[in-house]
Amino acid sequence: MKIREEYAEEAAQQIVDAAVLRWQGTRLEAEVRHHKSGMARPYVYINCPRNHWRAVAKWLRFEMGVDHCSMITGIHWPDGPDDCKWEVVAHLMRMNVINPPERGGWTKQVIRDPNILQDDDVPMEFEVSISIPDTRSPSVQSVQEVWMGADWNEKETWDLVGIDFEGHENMRRVLQPHDTPVGFHPLQRQHKIRYHDFEYMYDDAQGFGRKAIDEGKIK
Amino acid sequence: MWISMGPQHPMTHGLWTLKVKVDGETVVDTIPDLGYIHRGVEKICESREFTKITTYCDRLCYASANTWSHSYIYAAEDLLEVEVPERAEYIRVIAIELQRIASHLMWLGAFCPDVGNLTAFVWCLREREMMLDLLQELGGSRMHYNFPRIGGVKRDLPIGFAMRARAKLNLFLNRIQETEQLLDESTVFLVRTQGVGYAKPEEMVNYGVTGPNVRAGGVNYDVRWAHPYSVYDQLDWQVSVERPSIKGADSYDRYRVRVDEMRQSALMCLDALNKIPGGAETHYSEGDPMIITKAKERAEEGKTGFHHFEDSRGESMFYMVGGGDQRGKYPYRISIRSPMFITLPYASKCMIGYKVADIPAIMGSFDPCIGETDR
Amino acid sequence: MGDWFTVRTWAEEFSQMISDNSIGKTSFSDYSDTFVTVMTEGIMAVTVFGIIMATILILLWIERKFFARIMDRRGATMAIRSLWVGEGGEHVDWYDELPFGTGKPLRWLNELLNNTFGSSSEHETVDRVNDRSYHGIWFLLPGLIQNVADGMKFMTKEWMVPAKADKFIFEVAPFIIITSTVMLFAFIPLSSEIYSANPELSLLFLMAIFGIAPLGVFFAGWSSNNKYTLLGGIRSAAQLTAYEIPLLVTVLSVAVISGSLNIIEIVEFQVSSGSWNIFLLPFGAGLFLITMVAEVERIPFDMPEAEAELVEGWWTEYGGMRWGLMFASEYLRCYAACLLFSLFFLGGWEMPFGDSIINIIPNQDLILGAVGVGLIGLALGMRSEYPALLAPLPLVFMSVVPSIAWLLFKSWVMFAVFVWIRASFHRIRTDQILEFGWRWLLPLSLVNLGFAFWLRLAAWDGGEWPLFVPGLITGIAFVVFVILGIDEDTSELEGRTRPYSVYTGDVGPASPRSHEK
Repeated sequence: MKIREEYAEEAAQQIVDAAVLRWQGTRLEAEVRHHKSGMARPYVYINCPRNHWRAVAKWLRFEMGVDHCSMITGIHWPDGPDDCKWEVVAHLMRMNVINPPERGGWTKQVIRDPNILQDDDVPMEFEVSISIPDTRSPSVQSVQEVWMGADWNEKETWDLVGIDFEGHENMRRVLQPHDTPVGFHPLQRQHKIRYHDFEYMYDDAQGFGRKAIDEGKIK
Repeated sequence: MWISMGPQHPMTHGLWTLKVKVDGETVVDTIPDLGYIHRGVEKICESREFTKITTYCDRLCYASANTWSHSYIYAAEDLLEVEVPERAEYIRVIAIELQRIASHLMWLGAFCPDVGNLTAFVWCLREREMMLDLLQELGGSRMHYNFPRIGGVKRDLPIGFAMRARAKLNLFLNRIQETEQLLDESTVFLVRTQGVGYAKPEEMVNYGVTGPNVRAGGVNYDVRWAHPYSVYDQLDWQVSVERPSIKGADSYDRYRVRVDEMRQSALMCLDALNKIPGGAETHYSEGDPMIITKAKERAEEGKTGFHHFEDSRGESMFYMVGGGDQRGKYPYRISIRSPMFITLPYASKCMIGYKVADIPAIMGSFDPCIGETDR
Repeated sequence: MGDWFTVRTWAEEFSQMISDNSIGKTSFSDYSDTFVTVMTEGIMAVTVFGIIMATILILLWIERKFFARIMDRRGATMAIRSLWVGEGGEHVDWYDELPFGTGKPLRWLNELLNNTFGSSSEHETVDRVNDRSYHGIWFLLPGLIQNVADGMKFMTKEWMVPAKADKFIFEVAPFIIITSTVMLFAFIPLSSEIYSANPELSLLFLMAIFGIAPLGVFFAGWSSNNKYTLLGGIRSAAQLTAYEIPLLVTVLSVAVISGSLNIIEIVEFQVSSGSWNIFLLPFGAGLFLITMVAEVERIPFDMPEAEAELVEGWWTEYGGMRWGLMFASEYLRCYAACLLFSLFFLGGWEMPFGDSIINIIPNQDLILGAVGVGLIGLALGMRSEYPALLAPLPLVFMSVVPSIAWLLFKSWVMFAVFVWIRASFHRIRTDQILEFGWRWLLPLSLVNLGFAFWLRLAAWDGGEWPLFVPGLITGIAFVVFVILGIDEDTSELEGRTRPYSVYTGDVGPASPRSHEK
């Protein structure tokens, strides 16, 4: 029992066509990509320009039926191209979940046969990538009102990577202690967990391979 | 009055704080506070080779280690473009489903003392011993197995494993009936868990909750059929979906879904043992191409891979970007999506309006595991 | 009944002898009566206290072992299931080693259960799972010593008062709880001759003292300056108050049917009227059981000390021996509850079928009794392989067993029922407990009281109960219990669409939007 591949391909292509049609004239790119292992399922990849993110999110949610925000994460590219020093990647899913219908005071289970799902009913994965040019304080718009699940994802992204989300209510540290120094975001590339780029420290429990210059330092 | 169900508390199934604002006995507001065991796994993995990251992923959710290491492995295979032989996929499914049973038994064993029944705790752990024995035969240890490899599995099913697995799973199917009877026929249990913690499925999905929690809401969504991977399409199984009431899924529904999932997992394992290519009694030595293919070690810059996976607690996902240090031997970034990280704030919101005594019943039914929440 | 264990008489004679030899010979001989009284009461108080304290260890031992057997643990505590499945794939032979062949019926029972309920696949699979016995102990003490070790542990733990707690009340609260609990045992007679105090209204005294402890609990919860304990103390006070009233009304019904508020006379009534109260008031016995479980705060009425939410409830902040004594007081109250149940409903210290057996033999002489019972034993012994000579031995002991042993045995069996309830049920939520107590138990206990009135006034003719009266009542109660215990209608279950139904596979040949029909 699974979604048939041809239906999945069709559904992905339909989404990409709709995206291209709706957002032509902007720099948004949409294409169907495939996983490179396993069953090579298709998914929709969208490269969204930074100032359109909230509009694209709303369009995805309300017109394309993308109802589940899986993860929003951020990547720091200090050595990347100039227009993409920071990147926000959002993984979304279209699950087509509705409240189960009610009948006689009880609800009925929503059972769908996966073999026959087609077109808009096919669950689909989305990957939306937003590039941010070089800046000391990167930020994108927040999609907290569009998907509630984005709430804690955005908090975590800001907490660990440092990308701010405009319009996000109640932004706070979630994984690090509340009194972490302002401006400390560990997943940025300049913070290293090894010192002096000495990568094999974890094999060297006693410090035999230490450099002389590091005498007396704590590992 | 704010009560802090603080980091040290017998109920919380892990290390986190739940600050509860209480008016008499009624809960008025909640604030969850996570991050006590944030170990920085994502940062650590930026300086580890791909094969060495598997051990970290075992320890993400220690109660359900196999599902997390497989979740990572599938994403790594997407990044490194590796094809996995079919026998290895069957062995992986067996390991994943056994782990799912063990994780749900741990959940049930922790949920029942929360509502007061101490006997089911011991019974569930006794059944879990059987699963842990089987997993020990497969993976070598009882909790953190480091079992899958990129491109296959570490080693084949041990000799005699099929016979022992069949005996234990059949016995388990009988024993879970007994535990279920103890709970379902007890009016006290029904009174404690029905009618508390209502959650509507549409709201749950909007919040990002997945897995057994949303299936308790009456909606048939499971990553194993929606974005299929491995050999789940060839096995004979059914999705466990419960019929909730109008107001949404309550704790009783979530309990029923997980019990049925345990049964389905046991049936899936038995089915996989029947259908495995090469037979369940043959044993291939380590490194045999029937169970593993050689994977390349480096991922060039610009490549990405991700994979949605049905973990015991929901939908977990790994997103990996290649091109890290050592010319691509290390990943540039790993991003882990933990279902519980998203569900805990939602579960905290679900508790508002109920009594303080309902907090364990609701929180326990969502099955929190803080290891994966804090990463 | 010919009870030879007349401790009180011995104490009186002993004190009289002492007084004659000491005070009587001095000029204070006017006070010799007072001296005798004081010394007798002193001896009796110490004796009763000593018996209770010694046997509370057995209570804790029952709790641990029985609980473990229900939970299927293995090792030093064996699982009930292992009695017929066998451990390690082999049959257990422990019953072959019991003396005098008394294990033979057990082996027969074991094999019967094995053939009915066991299965061969369980043998191999459970053996490793259940084999968690502790290898490597070099000596074996009975499990009773465990609690002595626990007591020593409590004495060495930290003895602290929280900084911001109300110090005076914090230290007074355990006093109230412990003293009121121990004082209970002053009024509980352990036999017609072993009691510490026997006022005419001992039942009333007892119930009054029983109700002091909730006050101590509330003090403890409030004074610890801790929100958890406050919640626990409030819950406890509410729960205990709510269940005092049905308890008192039920106890009143027992007093009504026995015609006296003195516990010894209640037991004498059961002996002389030929039927235990449980057969006359089975409903009342059930009510008493439920309210007592709530009064001693055991699961399912465990909310005030629920570990899941409140860590330890109202005694979170107590440590060391303060907590140890309160923990002991919980078990002492359980013990008092079990003793009271045995006294009120199970005939107290009467041997089961005591007067029937005695009446079979017209002469109550011990040796003739032994011979008569020995004939019964011989008949039994010839049907199995019992050595016929030694078979009547246990039966003979029945008539030399002091009646206090019967009372204690019955209360231990009742405690095993308490443990069984604890192992099987979940905790009920506080508001559900209170609702149950006020809305259900109180009216039912009043109905029970009315029934007791009717029985005593209208149906009792002053002598023994004719056999059909308790028989009829018990039969009706049994039928009602069975009807309530049978599972619900399965078709109604289906109609409720909730329990036991999960994915039913209604996939059907439909379009993708079939769920919208």
